[in-house]
Amino acid sequence: MENNTSDIINELKTVSPFLGGIEKVNVFKVPDDYFIDLDKKILTSVFLREVEKNERQEVPKGYFDSLSDRILSKIKNETPLTAIEEIKQISPALHYLKEEPVFTVPENYFDNLSDRILDKIHLKKAKVISLNPLKKLWKYAAAAVIAGIVTISSLQIFNQKTGKEKIAASYIQVAQQYRTPQKLDEGIASLSADEIAKYLEKTGTVLDEDALVKDTDTTNLPSTSDYLTDENALDNFLNSINSKSTNTQ
Amino acid sequence: MTQIQNDQELLELFKDPSTKEQAFTAIIKKYQEKLYWHIRRMVINHEDADDVLQNMFIKVWKGLENFREDSQLYTWLYRIATNESLTFLAQQKKRSSVSLSDDENGLTNKLKSDTNFDANKLEWKLQMGIQSLPEKQRIVFNLRYYDEMPYEEMSKVLDTSEGALKASYHHAAKKIENFILNN
Repeated sequence: MENNTSDIINELKTVSPFLGGIEKVNVFKVPDDYFIDLDKKILTSVFLREVEKNERQEVPKGYFDSLSDRILSKIKNETPLTAIEEIKQISPALHYLKEEPVFTVPENYFDNLSDRILDKIHLKKAKVISLNPLKKLWKYAAAAVIAGIVTISSLQIFNQKTGKEKIAASYIQVAQQYRTPQKLDEGIASLSADEIAKYLEKTGTVLDEDALVKDTDTTNLPSTSDYLTDENALDNFLNSINSKSTNTQ
Repeated sequence: MTQIQNDQELLELFKDPSTKEQAFTAIIKKYQEKLYWHIRRMVINHEDADDVLQNMFIKVWKGLENFREDSQLYTWLYRIATNESLTFLAQQKKRSSVSLSDDENGLTNKLKSDTNFDANKLEWKLQMGIQSLPEKQRIVFNLRYYDEMPYEEMSKVLDTSEGALKASYHHAAKKIENFILNN
């Protein structure tokens, strides 16, 4: 049976006119948004308690009879808890949730993963290999320049006919300065442009650009536009030169 | 190399140039899924996890010859995977112009952008709870909860005492439980 508000107030006034005369005000406050999603919070809470309850219900027969003995033996043996035992103790709800899959992986992702990684490694290796010879060549070139300069200096000393012992001593003395790559680098840095130029003049095998231009027949060379429109233009030109030279032999 | 060999055998084969790649492939196949999931739980999306996983294995290739065999290959790999993931997250944080106080790496946003994300499902609330943890505590929780790693090994991976790890895991689990109840 339902009563409306005025009936209830009238009833109270008959019992206690004082209380019936006081205005009804709610003195308690509720946090903002408390009722928003309250149903979900309660459901989650109920769910988690149910999980806990279920866990507790699964107690084997005689579990408590031997519990103290097992605890004592555990303390003696100091057997560490497994991860599953531990999370069951700390939070049975989290133990329950663990099996729920969340993230997905593209199909067959793991099938050729090792091949893809090895491909990347090979690619990186190849890049490194292509740089090394250049670096080595530079070192050899630098060493050759210094050795050449040292030799030329020694020959100049030799030409002055100052004695073989003196020549050998000065040669060894200079050579000993460049025994490590660091010293070699320092040696290169200390060389003047004139010294290097003099050395190259005497020993250099660089192509003579004038001679190269003079010996090349440029009349049959493809034009610049040919290179842009036909990527085989240069190959065709070189093939034609080769066939000509073969015929003349 | 038809069956999975033990780590010691694989390391021996890796030292021999004629079986080096075979051994390395076997190491990848043996640990790829465990390490992938460890990384994925830290960086959240698949593409990032794939990048980090491949880069970490490239580093393994370079470092395996100098691997000190007094430690376990398994913990060494986890250590590299953890460091690579943390480095990746740090780089992302640097690149990001948005500063988020609770979730500095935007990991919660990444979770929400997952096509399967459902804020009402408990399993996603669990993931949100995990992302609400501080970085180190999150790693400890993941390693223990998902990988079921013994504290002794975790101690080697994270260079932290077993006692501190146990306390950290306990606090993390309770924080996540509270997060689920209050969200």
